[in-house]
Amino acid sequence: MNWKVCFLLVLLLMLAMPLASAESGRELIENSSGYDGKTVSFRGEVIGVMIRDDFAWVNLLDNEGYAIGIWCPAENAKAILFIGDYSHVGDSVQVAGTFHMACAEHGGDLDIHAENFIIVATGQEVDRPTNLPIAALGVALMAVAILMTFYLRRIRKEKQKILPWPSY
Amino acid sequence: MIPSLTREDLKIIGYNLRNAFYITGVFLLVPIVVAAVYREFNTVPYFLIGSALAFIIGNLLSFFLRTEKEMEVKHAIVMVALAWLIAPLLASIPIWLANATASYLDAGFEAISGFTGTGLTVATGIDYMSHSINFLRHFLQFVGDGVGILVISLSILGRTEMSSVLAFKGESKDVGIRPSVVRTSRIIIGIAVTFLIIGTVLFTIAGIREGLDPGTAVFDGLNHSMTGYATGGFSTHSQNLLYYHSILFEVVAVILMIIGALNFNLHYAVLGGKRKEILKNIEVKVLLFWLLATGLIVSANLLNTNVYSSVEALFRKGVFHAISAQTTTGFQTVYPSHFALVWPALSIFVLSIAMIVGGSANSTSGGIKMLRVGVLFKSFKREVKRLLLPRSAVVTGSFHHIEDTPLTDKVVAGAALVAISYIVFFSIGTMITAAHGYSLEDSMFETSSALGNVGLSCGITSPAMPATLKVTYMFLMWAGRLEIIAVLVLMGFVILGLRRGIKK
Repeated sequence: MNWKVCFLLVLLLMLAMPLASAESGRELIENSSGYDGKTVSFRGEVIGVMIRDDFAWVNLLDNEGYAIGIWCPAENAKAILFIGDYSHVGDSVQVAGTFHMACAEHGGDLDIHAENFIIVATGQEVDRPTNLPIAALGVALMAVAILMTFYLRRIRKEKQKILPWPSY
Repeated sequence: MIPSLTREDLKIIGYNLRNAFYITGVFLLVPIVVAAVYREFNTVPYFLIGSALAFIIGNLLSFFLRTEKEMEVKHAIVMVALAWLIAPLLASIPIWLANATASYLDAGFEAISGFTGTGLTVATGIDYMSHSINFLRHFLQFVGDGVGILVISLSILGRTEMSSVLAFKGESKDVGIRPSVVRTSRIIIGIAVTFLIIGTVLFTIAGIREGLDPGTAVFDGLNHSMTGYATGGFSTHSQNLLYYHSILFEVVAVILMIIGALNFNLHYAVLGGKRKEILKNIEVKVLLFWLLATGLIVSANLLNTNVYSSVEALFRKGVFHAISAQTTTGFQTVYPSHFALVWPALSIFVLSIAMIVGGSANSTSGGIKMLRVGVLFKSFKREVKRLLLPRSAVVTGSFHHIEDTPLTDKVVAGAALVAISYIVFFSIGTMITAAHGYSLEDSMFETSSALGNVGLSCGITSPAMPATLKVTYMFLMWAGRLEIIAVLVLMGFVILGLRRGIKK
């Protein structure tokens, strides 16, 4: 085995290790005092990017619905192509870094200062087709509501026009 | 003896309820504009269905229950209580159809939380929610709690009869700004829109400065401005304001929360040139005292227990949440489970009290209200003075709220009645929550948040919480928004109908 293959294998192992041992957002948030100041690994979908000079905040949402802010160099954030929202699946990112329960540098926020930042999957656009039966129902109901408004108004006006029969 | 219910009573209530249907129908059309801007055309049918149903039911009520008879106080109170149930019921339709919640019950919870300006959420995937549905959640808080459903309908329909005045009062709004209710309601809307614009501009500037793209900054700015002024607390992100990691964003939120917690009459007086009113007003003094006391106790406790150590952290976590709780907003920059697991018990207890006490009367805040707390403090002082002076001495008292008002027994009894009702409902809510297996401390916190229409959560409120607890909190949010008395009147109305039947 030549040294290039060995190097590649070691590199792959190094990349795979954090993937296998990533902590869940729930675990980090609920046991935050135990992880405070320690190096942790976290994986999630990008749901927000805010570049602040040479650094950036990248909010990652894990598959259980827990989001954590990652403080990383701006160039890491600039490499992100998709931010998750209604129309997009965001890039999937794996980070390893120092976990802070109440970061002294960032006003007490719970965060991770990334030392290793890898985009493991690129996001994509999401197609949101219209549900045709629901759309038809919506249009039909609105038509009924409008017709009803005018019809009932007309009946009321006609009723008001009819003078009561004089009684003696 | 209380007279039995008649069919005419039901007709009067039903006929006057039509406005709540119509105005909700109009509200549900507004997010279509947002859907068009963001090209989310697949969400348009959801709003059409909700809106059309509102108009159809409103038309039926208007046609079949038409009556010329004027509302009495009992009709107005029952009508308002029902309006605050019907409006969320209709608004929950688009939320449910869009799959923004796991069930229709959750959609109802979200809509009641929105309309009452509470901010507790059971929505799933807020970060993936369509812009239009997300806007609807925030818009409900602005029109429901920020202005008031009936205030808007009165200003549009321009009705000036006695029934409008009664409905206005039933919605916990004062008619005292201007002699005409229509004029008053338009002033309230004017004040709300002014602060909405100012808030949106400030949040947008803060957002762009902190690295958001301009489109997101404007959208988030508008939504947070609506919920900040309405002291609602919904956010466009699951992390709430923690998403932004920004002191600038939090400072703008603090400004809006405090403005929202001040009395409309005070806004009007100050905008009309009576600036000294801020220094003289009993509510402002009591609110400042409570804010200061809550902020100091919470911050000192957090420092003492080594949860946060820097001055910036104590402001952004301690003081920020004290203001969020006291103004009954519910903006949050810590994870809900941190309140339960990391924050010390004293801070949780103090925040719970702040949430129950709330902001100013006739503002967008919930809770017992500062005016009542001030009146009760003054009456305690008066009673102590009375006991110390000779029996022949006459002890009087007064307080300043826009004008000098004598501290009569009737005023004190009114304040005490509302305060006691809140304490009773708080105790019952806490017991029900604790009976579901949660700790007493967490139960107190979450119950006071629901009843005070706050929205801070220690993690109990979630899509996974038991359905019985969801219903309990829905009831507490609704009762809290109506200051409890209207709910008791509605209950009395129903019991009367069940016991004696409905006469012709």
